[in-house]
Amino acid sequence: MNGKKVLSLALAATMSLGLLAGCGGGNDTTGGGNTSTPAGNTSSGGSDTSGTTIKVAAIETSYGTEVWQQVADAFTEQTGINVELVTDKKLEDVIGPAMQGGEYPDVIHLAVGREAGLTEQFIKDKNIAEITDVLSMNVPGEDVTVGEKIIPGFVNDNSTTNPYADGKTYLAPMFYSPCGLFYNKGLFEEKGWEVPTTWDEMWELGDKAAAEGISLFTYPTTGYFDAFFYALMYEVGGEDFFFDATHYAEGIWDSQAAQTCFDIVEKLASYTNPITPAQANDQDFTQNQQLVLDNKALFMPNGTWIVGEMAEAPRADGFEWGMTALPAVTEGGDRYSYTFFEQMWIPAGAANVDAAKQFIAFMYSDTAADLFAAAGAAQPVTGIVDKLSGDNQIFYGIYDDGAMAALGSFASYKSVAGLGTTREVFFDPVNALVSGTMTKDEWVSSIKTASDQMRANLS
Amino acid sequence: MRRNKGRSRFIVLCVAPAVILFFIFMILPTLNVFRMSLYERGAYSPTETFVGMGNFQALAQDSLFIRSMQNTILMVVVVTIITFALALIFASILTHEKIKGTNLFRIIFYIPNILSVVVISGIFSAIYKPENGMLNSIISLFRGETVTVLWKDAPLVVVSIIIAMIWQAIGYYMVMYMASMASVPESLYESASLDGAGRITQFFQITIPLIWTNIRTTLTFFIISTINMAFLFVKAMTSGGPNGASEVALSYMYGQKDAGLYGYSMAIGVVVFLFSFLLSAMVNKATKREPLEF
Repeated sequence: MNGKKVLSLALAATMSLGLLAGCGGGNDTTGGGNTSTPAGNTSSGGSDTSGTTIKVAAIETSYGTEVWQQVADAFTEQTGINVELVTDKKLEDVIGPAMQGGEYPDVIHLAVGREAGLTEQFIKDKNIAEITDVLSMNVPGEDVTVGEKIIPGFVNDNSTTNPYADGKTYLAPMFYSPCGLFYNKGLFEEKGWEVPTTWDEMWELGDKAAAEGISLFTYPTTGYFDAFFYALMYEVGGEDFFFDATHYAEGIWDSQAAQTCFDIVEKLASYTNPITPAQANDQDFTQNQQLVLDNKALFMPNGTWIVGEMAEAPRADGFEWGMTALPAVTEGGDRYSYTFFEQMWIPAGAANVDAAKQFIAFMYSDTAADLFAAAGAAQPVTGIVDKLSGDNQIFYGIYDDGAMAALGSFASYKSVAGLGTTREVFFDPVNALVSGTMTKDEWVSSIKTASDQMRANLS
Repeated sequence: MRRNKGRSRFIVLCVAPAVILFFIFMILPTLNVFRMSLYERGAYSPTETFVGMGNFQALAQDSLFIRSMQNTILMVVVVTIITFALALIFASILTHEKIKGTNLFRIIFYIPNILSVVVISGIFSAIYKPENGMLNSIISLFRGETVTVLWKDAPLVVVSIIIAMIWQAIGYYMVMYMASMASVPESLYESASLDGAGRITQFFQITIPLIWTNIRTTLTFFIISTINMAFLFVKAMTSGGPNGASEVALSYMYGQKDAGLYGYSMAIGVVVFLFSFLLSAMVNKATKREPLEF
């Protein structure tokens, strides 16, 4: 009898073990990571990098993968450095396990703000190689430096490329895209509506549209609120407020400017298509984007990639994409459009740092910019807008039409158990605001509590 | 004696590969999980700091973790009870009632089990679609007006996931119960019906007691697989949203890893491990009966 008891317990234990086998697999390899010292700057001694092979890992987005191969080939031709290219839509899952084992690609093109937050983790751990000197390097095959080619504002005083606010650059800006509110231009012409320039006009339009059974607003997922909220913060309080707010300054959320932001989001939530939160997940978010194509919602925050993303989707007759900056808070006030851009960086543990830096420098060459532009991606180099075509030229012209560019993001802080990410704290509750399961006051007070902790853990 | 020694050496040699592999790939990583739960480190950073029970103390105060654990427990309980009941009933009907197409039904019930969870979440995405989704269209048909139930919004989202999980699991357990029901001798039912026992009495007095060992095994399966499957379903259907309402323990653990809290997520792993282990042990103890022979 007793033996049986022991046996059955043992069996139960074995089955429970299966539960953890998945996580365990990862651990086994991390053990190796502890002991191996990062290769670091082993190659920094020699300047002759031709003939070496670098590993480049790039996220596959709506721009496709072919362009990466073309750029890599052009780079090899120019410098003699071979490129081993890895592209994937879920890049984290492809390169993550090897990196846990201490094997890093030399160049990684992966933006912050993704769900897996891989880039953020490298920033928090100070695990990224400094690339300030790339700015003064000549672009391979050209006589200008990288710093001269990049559009001003993208690398200096930018909390995304210089995450530690110490004047040193760690992440190279890639593929910028203006974010704004996207709408159906055809519908506005058909109804004779004007695109609102102030929030007051926005609410008026919301009431008019509601009378016709159209909601004013929808959003794909709450992740799209970052660009929206950043631009809104610039509008209500300018650069100073934006800096204080994104660095969690004490009492900042009680300020008048912050209250205006919260009020606008709260009001916008009441004008949002009620089915939005039920579809605001990674599985169904295109259904929310479809609401705009079907004339069931007027505006949604998005980026220029939306045109390609929804290219195959059915749409209302006479549909035409339009994009506008956020409406101004006051009549004649500043209007902002957030500039989203991706980042390319070198892990501190990369084996071929010198060659990797050359690769980054090459990204800003005319050759590379032309290839990327042909795929619809705009490098932040001067004169890029002329290289774009069709819709994109109009979208990127938004800054010529009076909208100001909002750049930057929430400062990175050391991870704390139970604190959550900025998206979880600031933007996910918008779902609850829309469905009415949370009030604005609850939202703001949870932001304040979290913000205090974030400030205490600024990295 | 000599021969015996040689024999045991042979046995040791035969068993060794399995034991070694099991040790390296199951025991060692699990022990490592326990060790890592006492440290704090990022998933990709080579440095780690010892924090003792710090991670567990933080867990006790983490309201998001508590909510995800509540969701997990709710799913384990509800999915187990409903799947268990339905699988038993369907198995009993398909074994004992003379209905046409028994095999066809068996296959149909089993199909969800061989579908990938991603496919299932795609199917249920279409079913739960707020506008002209299958479920809302059917409800609208009976109500005579257009109904827009938000199945994947905050109050209902856990229920929606539970429904999908039950749909997926029934076939598997039904086939398991059918296998053991088939071995119950037909003569027992014949004599019971001669004694005047109806179908329902037969089910509770003969079928259930005679397949009890099988039921006990499946109860442990239920606990472990629900905890595991809940992660897959949540990941594929809602990614924990909206606003974390459908987060379960394992998906929360996964998210914490992405937030750069590797040690903390290992601590969650330890809690889930102990929870499932203790729950299985308790269920095992509570359902202990003297096995019936037939």
